[in-house]
Amino acid sequence: MEKIIYAILSGKINHGKLTTLLSGIKGIEGADLVAVSFDQISAVVSNIEKADLVANQINAFAFAHVIEILEEDYPLLPMRFGSIMKSAGSIQEMLEKNYPEFRNNLQKVENKSEFGLKIVCDTEKLKTELKSKSDAVNEPSQKSVAESRDSVFREYVNQKLKAHRLEEMLMGYIDSIIAEFTGFLIELDAVKKIKKMTTATTIIDAVFLLEKDKKAELILAIEAMQSKHTGLNFILTGPWPPYSFVDITLKQ
Amino acid sequence: MSENKILCNAGTVDFSFQDISTEVDKLKNIEDSRLSLTPDNADSGLAKLVLTLVELIRKLIEKQAMRRVDGGSLSDDEIERLGETLMKLEMKMEELKKYFNLTDRDLNINLGPLGDLM
Repeated sequence: MEKIIYAILSGKINHGKLTTLLSGIKGIEGADLVAVSFDQISAVVSNIEKADLVANQINAFAFAHVIEILEEDYPLLPMRFGSIMKSAGSIQEMLEKNYPEFRNNLQKVENKSEFGLKIVCDTEKLKTELKSKSDAVNEPSQKSVAESRDSVFREYVNQKLKAHRLEEMLMGYIDSIIAEFTGFLIELDAVKKIKKMTTATTIIDAVFLLEKDKKAELILAIEAMQSKHTGLNFILTGPWPPYSFVDITLKQ
Repeated sequence: MSENKILCNAGTVDFSFQDISTEVDKLKNIEDSRLSLTPDNADSGLAKLVLTLVELIRKLIEKQAMRRVDGGSLSDDEIERLGETLMKLEMKMEELKKYFNLTDRDLNINLGPLGDLM
């Protein structure tokens, strides 16, 4: 029987309080949770048969649920789903070897939570709107291209060029939205990670790490942006454990 | 979840369900997009890998070419030749995909946290 690790907790842990908390939560497949500690950090783990661990919604929920409850009381580093080690001894050894990195990362996320922002829209509709606002998209590459005799190759280039210009316009528009929320994120002293066009409809997929008590300010700022950009749908979620802000390469 | 995690959503999408399903699908897709080479499928497995790289390079070339066309630095003849080359490249890719029974989705490898390749 191996051990699956849910999170690494920090601080001067009151082990009595932690044990009481863990006794009230169940892990994957209803397993009991225990803490494996080294100095001032602890790993929360449960028993698991590695071969039986399936990446499905039930297990993913159970895993996330444990982390979410622990996050209410402790600064923590959430572990990736499926982080399994063979025994409590090997976990303790791993904690010891990576102690400085764990401490550094735990300090970075202390009193902070992660928030997610997805901005979704009908990109085809958005492209049509952008296209109607600019004649540049429909201009041929050079005057001579349009005027010269019919050529499938030139027509092909012109079609590709139109698509390219539209794409550039879309990217420019996305960058302007990013610049807008980056402004207030700086004021909130937030750390951010942003991806563009992650799916056909998600034009921005961003995560922020900011102090827990700035949640209300963040919501207000996003709501203000939503009122301004009615064609976009701003989906703000959180607070989450700092899933996207753990930066450790474990030494085994 | 112990509380509502959606703090702002002006749309009508049941985001929590959609998002979780997407993430679970991603886990499955990562499995699907792994290169699975066995003695029986060595040809198609390798073809998938090679064509993915070729398609990525083709798209990068196309993007760079459009930048140059848009910048006005190419002559009429150069644009003509460029169009012919790009068109033939695209047609050849379609042929190869058909030959190895691959779709555009097969060539879009999931790079985990980095997202999709193309």
